[in-house]
Amino acid sequence: MNIFESVILAIDAVRSHKLRSSLTLFSIAIGIFAIIGSGTAVTSLNETVSKQMAEMGEGVFVLQKFPPVMSNDMWKKLRGRKDINFQQAKLFQQKMIENAEAVGIENSTGGIKVKYGNLSTDQNVSVAGGDDAYFITTNIMIEYGRPLNSEDVSMNRRVVVIGDDLVKKLFPVGSPLGKIITIKKQNFTVIGTIKRRGSVLGQSLDNRVIIPITVFMKYIADEWDVSVAISVKALSLDKVDETMDEAIGIMRGIRGDQPWMESSFAYYTNNTLSEQFEGFTKYVGFFGIGAGIVALVVAGVGIMNIMLVTVKERTREIGVRKALGAKRRWILQQFIIEAITLCQLGGGIGIILGLMGGVFLSLILGTVVAVPLHWIGISIGVCTFLGVFFGAYPAWKASKLDPIEALRYE
Amino acid sequence: MNNDIIINIEDVAKTYQMGAETVHALRSVSLQIRKNEYIAIMGPSGSGKSTMMNIVGCLDTPTKGTYLFENENVATMNDNELADIRNRKIGFVFQTFNLLARASTLKNVELPLVYAGVKKDERQQRAFAALESVGLQDRTHHKPNELSGGQRQRVAIARALVTKPSIILADEPTGNLDSKTGVEIMRLFGELWKNGNTVILVTHEEDIARHAHRIVRIRDGMIESDTINPSPAEV
Repeated sequence: MNIFESVILAIDAVRSHKLRSSLTLFSIAIGIFAIIGSGTAVTSLNETVSKQMAEMGEGVFVLQKFPPVMSNDMWKKLRGRKDINFQQAKLFQQKMIENAEAVGIENSTGGIKVKYGNLSTDQNVSVAGGDDAYFITTNIMIEYGRPLNSEDVSMNRRVVVIGDDLVKKLFPVGSPLGKIITIKKQNFTVIGTIKRRGSVLGQSLDNRVIIPITVFMKYIADEWDVSVAISVKALSLDKVDETMDEAIGIMRGIRGDQPWMESSFAYYTNNTLSEQFEGFTKYVGFFGIGAGIVALVVAGVGIMNIMLVTVKERTREIGVRKALGAKRRWILQQFIIEAITLCQLGGGIGIILGLMGGVFLSLILGTVVAVPLHWIGISIGVCTFLGVFFGAYPAWKASKLDPIEALRYE
Repeated sequence: MNNDIIINIEDVAKTYQMGAETVHALRSVSLQIRKNEYIAIMGPSGSGKSTMMNIVGCLDTPTKGTYLFENENVATMNDNELADIRNRKIGFVFQTFNLLARASTLKNVELPLVYAGVKKDERQQRAFAALESVGLQDRTHHKPNELSGGQRQRVAIARALVTKPSIILADEPTGNLDSKTGVEIMRLFGELWKNGNTVILVTHEEDIARHAHRIVRIRDGMIESDTINPSPAEV
């Protein structure tokens, strides 16, 4: 029989039982929404992060006191670690510089208010202390002016390079270069502005200033966080592992780590970071898909219920069809197509909602908008499967009806 | 002469199991129906008349005996084979019309052809021709609820005719109609017979049965009488 007729019948059935159908369609929509939504979110989060990571410079690794992500247990184990102080970092830099393209030293803090004249930012600017190499290892580009140089660092100059958000806020008109801004009651001369970097996960990368690390350690650093991080850029991409081994060796020497001891510091590359992040987004994905599957199973039971009621209500019609010569498989096919149609209607709504949700999330998180085409394909497949699986029993029941009984049914 | 026999029922019985009790709906029935007969099967309710109709109409198979429908042994067929026989050889007309409420007149008449696997163009042509033969060519796109009872029964008759079946089996075809409309429907059956169709009426109404040329009366699961109607009613 033609599929089209079954589809029309299914849509008719939805229309004549609006409440019952809409509840079931709603739960399918929720399930598909959860799957598509989390698929979209995961895809765009991953794409954003890998894009961001790539921007931050390839072939770079970081040495610091603690790993960037720590569990509670790890924290308990590692809390006694000694700081990597500026002197150690300096020493490391001297020993390492021949074997690397750049070795940067950095520390930073957040939640700072920056002022210029009577203008001021919110208390949310991130202030980093760095050196000339820090600009290379973190791939920070200068728009106007110049970056920090080694004299700025060695001579404790009160100079600052500012991000685009501060340019907009503090210097709506005129050039910021040569102007004096105030950070934690200290005055700094603006010598450069950073090329706009955008945002990651809703966090602006342009709401920051960079001052010489020496000045930072003296006036800005929090007393409880004076350990610096060291970023190293390898001479070439294929030398990253080699360079990292070397760096670890040098650092162990500086820190006095005995050969039988674990290193008293952490090291990681952008790759390990993005792997960790992907591990996290995987959980987001699993959670979304798990929730989606639960909703879909509930929806499937609803579909079965609707189809059982439909079969009951249309017993007589089934009887007539059988009397006119419909074989079992015709009836089976008709009701399974109806069930699939119901599922696809709900799934269509879910796909639209899921895409809208994913795009919305991308917008508020400032991530790349990614349309997960394969998730849409999967959703359509899942809906078809749901229809076949949960429609099978009602359809089988319909096909088994005795035509005489069915014709007599009131 | 023997080739004229469409239905050849011999010593057919049908029993149902109702809990612990065995119900003998038909005890032993033999009946032959020839091409272009106009026959009424009569009997009060509980006589086995409905069972007889279900067996003749290939909706059910007998417990015992043989049933040859145009020399094919229907008694041993499975559900799908029976569906095929019903589709090709039997045109049903029901008391309550049994049209699909959501489908147009034309679609309703097309339905048996859909199951017969006829292509869409031919299906529409034949359905239209069948509707024309019952005088409803200008109602093809109406839904059943937009038609009068008599018109609905005409649609049902068109649906029965559209496959050019060997028999037309009508179960109380005027039961849901007022007497004037009932007479019109009976006139239509008369015309069908004149055009060479084989018509089987199943009814408990003498007024209806007297249109037939042969009357078979059933009582207690047996054929009580099988007589020629000397003066069929003309309408």
